[in-house]
Amino acid sequence: MINLHGLILADRSSRNLRELVLVRTSSSLPFAGRYRLIDFALSNLQNAGVRDVGVVMQRNYSSLLDHMGSGKEWDMSRKRGGLKLLPPFTGSGEYEGIIDALENVRGYIEDIKQDYVALMRGSLAASIDLGDVMYQHVRSGADVTAVCCPGAPEGEHHRFIVGEDGYATEIMLRRVGESEGVASLEVYIMSKQTLLGIIDRCDNALNHKFHRDGLGGLLAAGGRIKIYMHNDYVARIESVGGYFAANMDMLDSGKRHQLFPEERPVRTKGRSDVSTYYGDQAVNRNSLVADGCIIEGSVENCVIFRGVRVGAGAVLRNCIIMQDSVIGENARLDYIIADKDVRVSGGVTLSGSPKLQLVLPKGSEV
Amino acid sequence: MNRKCIAMLLAGGQGSRLYALTKDVAKPSVPFGGKYRIIDFPLSNCANSGIDVVGVLTQYKPLQLNSYIGSGQAYDLDSSDGGVFILPPYQSAGEKGSWFSGTANAIYQNIAFIENYDPENVLILSGDHIYKMDYSDMLREHVQHDAACTIAVKQVSMEEATRFGILSCGGDGYINEFEEKPKQPKSDLASMGIYIFNWKKLRAALIADENDPNSSKDFGKNIIPNMLAAGEKLWPYKFDGYWRDVGTIVSLWDANMDMLGNTLMDLFDASWPIRSKSPIRPPHYAGPDSKIQHSIVTEGCEVYGQVSNSVLSSSVTVGNGAQVFYSILMPGASVGDGAVVKYAIIGENTRVQAGARVGSEPDGSEDWNVATCGPNIEIGAGAVVKAGAMIYDSVAAGEGSDAK
Repeated sequence: MINLHGLILADRSSRNLRELVLVRTSSSLPFAGRYRLIDFALSNLQNAGVRDVGVVMQRNYSSLLDHMGSGKEWDMSRKRGGLKLLPPFTGSGEYEGIIDALENVRGYIEDIKQDYVALMRGSLAASIDLGDVMYQHVRSGADVTAVCCPGAPEGEHHRFIVGEDGYATEIMLRRVGESEGVASLEVYIMSKQTLLGIIDRCDNALNHKFHRDGLGGLLAAGGRIKIYMHNDYVARIESVGGYFAANMDMLDSGKRHQLFPEERPVRTKGRSDVSTYYGDQAVNRNSLVADGCIIEGSVENCVIFRGVRVGAGAVLRNCIIMQDSVIGENARLDYIIADKDVRVSGGVTLSGSPKLQLVLPKGSEV
Repeated sequence: MNRKCIAMLLAGGQGSRLYALTKDVAKPSVPFGGKYRIIDFPLSNCANSGIDVVGVLTQYKPLQLNSYIGSGQAYDLDSSDGGVFILPPYQSAGEKGSWFSGTANAIYQNIAFIENYDPENVLILSGDHIYKMDYSDMLREHVQHDAACTIAVKQVSMEEATRFGILSCGGDGYINEFEEKPKQPKSDLASMGIYIFNWKKLRAALIADENDPNSSKDFGKNIIPNMLAAGEKLWPYKFDGYWRDVGTIVSLWDANMDMLGNTLMDLFDASWPIRSKSPIRPPHYAGPDSKIQHSIVTEGCEVYGQVSNSVLSSSVTVGNGAQVFYSILMPGASVGDGAVVKYAIIGENTRVQAGARVGSEPDGSEDWNVATCGPNIEIGAGAVVKAGAMIYDSVAAGEGSDAK
């Protein structure tokens, strides 16, 4: 068994996700027709052979609890160890940053049996070969290995300047858009002792920033951060527009196969749906459709989740329709994101725009 | 611990009439209806009926079936004091182990397993029928009528009746005659091969039958006629829902076609879910020039061509310009660019390469039939597999095949 423990941060949601995170955290956002974002972190760990995983949560986590259950979908329901959910249990439950959240679970971290810890966000959609990251990390002897991507992901992010030897020389905080260096995906592997050292250093200085004080401090003290480049598709979802774009990216077979490679399957909570049925007049052009749907109308450039009904004569273009929503006959929808259990009556016309998609909140009726 | 009823599922059959599909797997693990394997139906019925101990008797090529059923988690049958148990033939001390020599012998060899649960009744099921049935309702009638055996029955046409076990009832409703595959059927009530027995009575009947050298050790031929002759009370449980035996290529193809639309059997009904262990794959994708009509499509599929009146199981690909009509594509099958598949069954992971042709429309001739390609083979580019062919070896590019 791999000498690695998973620690997933599912504590924070970007405000720009608006209605989508009213009822959940960004880690439990439904994605690509049948997944939740946290499935990628859990599956990356599972595919690397990691079975002991802690999930740090802060608020709005009931949908996350429901989704993960005992962790059996990811082989993490074990007699010893396995999946541990870590809601706030001391202080105000308000985390100012990653360090606050980690301090809160310090006792858990101290009890970790493995020598190494993989720390990551629960809201990153990427298929990362953590076994290889771990191998490179141990071989390099670095203090920390940071998984980074070329270009710039959506929203504010941290960047590393990389020296010729492949180690970080500098960390640049909260950048937007492309600039020098590489973008951190906030997936780190380090020894348990290094992680505890970072928490202590921040704690003693009354600092609270993992990247600024923790990793920055480590670099300043002569610590070595190895950069591991991940060149396949990545979605770091920070806004409604970013959420829409990342879902639409899944209609591109190249990107889809990078996020769902055959050799590293992404697992999620099962539901025993039947296959999807297409009626006599159905049309599906360039759309992704999960199981359990009945499609009688037309879907074009859409992502359709499990159990959705699209009535006869309905025309859906550029839409994301989440689980168990029902679109009535002859409705016309364009640039709509319908959350779970939405009902759109027959004949209704609704349009967002390419720049501003219209979000129908969970359970709404139109 | 005493139980009211446990189930024994006979899953050892070879399914010789499906041979291209069952060369390496038992019939109950043949894929069905997009998401399922045949055995999902009786196992889901058990779970939905509240039966929490199921013995699955295997014999022929059980490996895939064993790994598919696993702990029974997919059916929520993995409970702490019950579950799904795979029961292969085994050897006892001082005895020569033997294969199951008949349906009754298979149960006889597992008397010790059944005794573990000390059940009042035992439900006997077979692994090759597609239907939804509430066994708890059948059990209620069984207990209510104080029957030694209750047999699920279905009305069939008189022409079909010659293929089934046919029974007749007396004025009191109890069965007074049972005939296996009669030439001149006296009624249209056919046994569905689903029985609930009082365990004490069945146990005695099995032991007596085992000691009869002339018996063929079969429920329909021996156990039930013997019970009837001994004056036991046999009750018919009338079932009028959808039920299909899928023992032949045509019946398997027909029953799959029945799953298109929701009229014959509602698989979407959340109150009676049919569960399956499916690989978790991304949703299916249909390309910009695809056309999918009156068909079912499963996760992991990628469709670029035309699909109509067909069943696509998990992870099937249909290439650009390909046509799939009135066909069943089992998990992982692929149809290359421009290939044409009509009235055909394509086995698991079989690759129909670009430009190949499999099957054709019914032409009214006597020997027309659905074309069947077994699993894990390749139909080479431009090759032809004629209607009615049944093949389990690859066909080289450009070659024609009418192997039967």
